[in-house]
Amino acid sequence: MPVVERQPYVQVAEVSKIYRSGTPNAIEAVSSVSFSVPHGQFVAILGPSGCGKSTLLMMVGGLEQVTAGRITVDGSAMAGPRTSIGIMFQDSTLLPWKSALDNVLFPIRILKRPLDTYRDAAQQLLERVGLDDFANKKPHELSGGMRQRVAICRALVYDPELLLMDEPFSALDAITRDEMNELLLDLWQQYTKTALFVTHSIREAVFLADRVLVMTRRPATIVEDLTIPFARPRPMAIGESREFNEICGHLRERIEESHHRGPRSNAASARPELVA
Amino acid sequence: MTVETHAAPRLVAARTRIGSRAIRGPDLRQLRPVILPLATAGMVLLLWQLVVTAMRIRAVILPPPVEIAAELWRNLPILLHHAIPTTLDSLMAFSLATALGVGLAVAITYSPLLRDTLYPNLVVFQLIPKVALAPLFVVWLGISSESRVAFATFISFFPVVISAAVGFSNTEASTLRLCRSLTASEWQSFVMVRFPFALPAIFSGMKIAMTMAIIGVIIGEFISAKAGLGYYILYASSRMETGVIFAALFVLCVIGVSLFGAVALAEQFLRRSYGRR
Repeated sequence: MPVVERQPYVQVAEVSKIYRSGTPNAIEAVSSVSFSVPHGQFVAILGPSGCGKSTLLMMVGGLEQVTAGRITVDGSAMAGPRTSIGIMFQDSTLLPWKSALDNVLFPIRILKRPLDTYRDAAQQLLERVGLDDFANKKPHELSGGMRQRVAICRALVYDPELLLMDEPFSALDAITRDEMNELLLDLWQQYTKTALFVTHSIREAVFLADRVLVMTRRPATIVEDLTIPFARPRPMAIGESREFNEICGHLRERIEESHHRGPRSNAASARPELVA
Repeated sequence: MTVETHAAPRLVAARTRIGSRAIRGPDLRQLRPVILPLATAGMVLLLWQLVVTAMRIRAVILPPPVEIAAELWRNLPILLHHAIPTTLDSLMAFSLATALGVGLAVAITYSPLLRDTLYPNLVVFQLIPKVALAPLFVVWLGISSESRVAFATFISFFPVVISAAVGFSNTEASTLRLCRSLTASEWQSFVMVRFPFALPAIFSGMKIAMTMAIIGVIIGEFISAKAGLGYYILYASSRMETGVIFAALFVLCVIGVSLFGAVALAEQFLRRSYGRR
């Protein structure tokens, strides 16, 4: 079905989110954002904290209503959460009384799928992220990085088509974070899904994504859509390369630019060249 | 929950420290938490015995422990006979209080209207010295066992509602969001997330309720009863049998500790069974 393949998997059209709409305290968290993601692409949404990127992600996941505009996933408009979408949050949100394995199987229980069918898959995922010896440990016996690894397994176990990640590694220390990025890329090779990854780390975005969308606070919209040219698999060492750092420098400039500019200027049309 | 997760590693650390020292000194250190309170209680009893004997305090005022033990032995059949209605009424009141309390807490959690109308009143009611209302229950329900159970339920029900409501509302918002993203039903989120998250709070309310239920029943028996340990204590005091009063108090202690222990055991069992699922 090559015709279906051409259609973008996620389509966000003129989406806005206004909190306390109609009151004097109305806050425009997301203002008229449009983009689309083809099937299988890894897209990072990069922006400073408080720019509305998490709100945007939650709207794509059906956990927040849009105030205006339209979000389509896999051809149908989002009206609420779907089981074809997996979400990873900032904290691991593991259940403290369940073992790592049971936490991974939690979605299966909720979705009332047969546990026995998925137990092997869950074990394999844990093995894949290096936690096979910790399957029976409770969350409080695991480190922060390990807990997020369990959360990744939990998001993958029921095989969602679209994976939404809301700054999943922001609470981790720098070294663990690098490890997690490498692990995520590694998993990505194996379980290719469409992914939206929200982050405020420029290097993380460039390292992980096929495409980086830069979102700013004022206006709370997307001001840059940059394709990352690196081939996969990507070794950790590309972070040292000149091209990588040039891209990072350019993205940083775009973010800073929008800080100095007044509210309401829309720079999305401007197509800047990379800084040499 | 967070407190517990933070405390856990420290606890482990403390245990290993004790463990490493135990290599030098034998098991005595590990038994410390048991030996220390028991020894203290024993010392107090011994001191009591010595003071009463040395100062020639009359047994009507304060009988020595040895005499209380003798009274306990002598009156054991009648004390046990009176312990039965007290225990049964307390258990009944406790069960009713737990069922009503958790039920109302669930209603408060899921209905904002109920929460806004009831919760502030419940908190205020918690502050009223409800013991003073005991005579009213006699007016309303007479001197039967139902009257005492109703009163004991009434005073032990508040801690359960309050702590269960707090437990339910303290469930991590992010975990509930995860449930929502998985299209979980309200019932699923309640059974799999909210309820187990609230278990520690519910049980701390239940433990208070257990002691309150016994207090309620005893007060009821003080006011009006033909049986029960409260009734028997009053009866013994009218005959100036101080030793018997103390013996009855001892039996009450045993009942209180066993019922409290049963609740604690139930908690451990339930939390462990949740861990296994």
